[in-house]
Amino acid sequence: MSKSAAPALVLVLASLSAWPAAADTIGLLFDATVDAVCTLSVNSNGTMVASTDLQTLSSKLAGGSPASLTLSTTGGVDLSLDPVTTVTAPAGDVTTTTWTPTYSTSGAHTIAETGGTTSLTSPGTSTVSVDLVGAKSGSDRFAAGNYQATVTVRCE
Amino acid sequence: MSGIQLLAAVALLAGTAPAAAQSMSPMRGEITSFTDAFAVRVHPANPYDHRIRVDVRVYDQEFRPVAAQVLPGSFTLGAQASRSVLVVVPFEGAASRKVRICTESVPFPDNQTQIRAQICGKFLATRQSR
Repeated sequence: MSKSAAPALVLVLASLSAWPAAADTIGLLFDATVDAVCTLSVNSNGTMVASTDLQTLSSKLAGGSPASLTLSTTGGVDLSLDPVTTVTAPAGDVTTTTWTPTYSTSGAHTIAETGGTTSLTSPGTSTVSVDLVGAKSGSDRFAAGNYQATVTVRCE
Repeated sequence: MSGIQLLAAVALLAGTAPAAAQSMSPMRGEITSFTDAFAVRVHPANPYDHRIRVDVRVYDQEFRPVAAQVLPGSFTLGAQASRSVLVVVPFEGAASRKVRICTESVPFPDNQTQIRAQICGKFLATRQSR
């Protein structure tokens, strides 16, 4: 090899070493499993008001407001309400009240007002509005005093 | 009492109580046990910036309470905190058992929370003979 050819050979070797060889390429795998998750956050409680005939206590009447929750989920869960079982009523109320809780959602999941179970198949965050209506029948009326009912919202 | 006075009397405070929130993992599980009982470890979490009081309860498929050991069954979770809870459920003679393990928010005594948030996981346990 001549003296003039040596630098050229070195240059060629340097160039070859700068190219990554195909055999050096390694695929790195990242695995993840996201389990079904549901998070409920109570934003505000509801307010019920009495109807003018005193036979209904409702969060849907003027002056009332639904309770509000934020729901975040991966999907693959069910949303439902329990029947109302925990009620505080004034001593003067001795007649039967029928309580009907319902909910609706907006946001990632749009659910029209229902009292049943809804499957949430897609992931996302939604606002859940919960209404509660208490009704008396016949000549029964709500008595003066404080009422409080607890509604259980379940995500499973 | 007029209707307006009654309306004011039954109106409940809204928005003044600290919000309650929780999650729980896992929410699904299948367990194989070689004994008369099976154990599940769940992790209730409080992802928010205030403490909450939590109950962990066990129900069957019809939401009837199940006599299970829950350690601990009631506790307070600080902001952004989670903790491990061990649930031991007897088979009660059955070859398999489906239960729900639920994390429930508990309102503090000095507020008027009307909403109880409940996160339930569904678990199927099978008893194997050796």
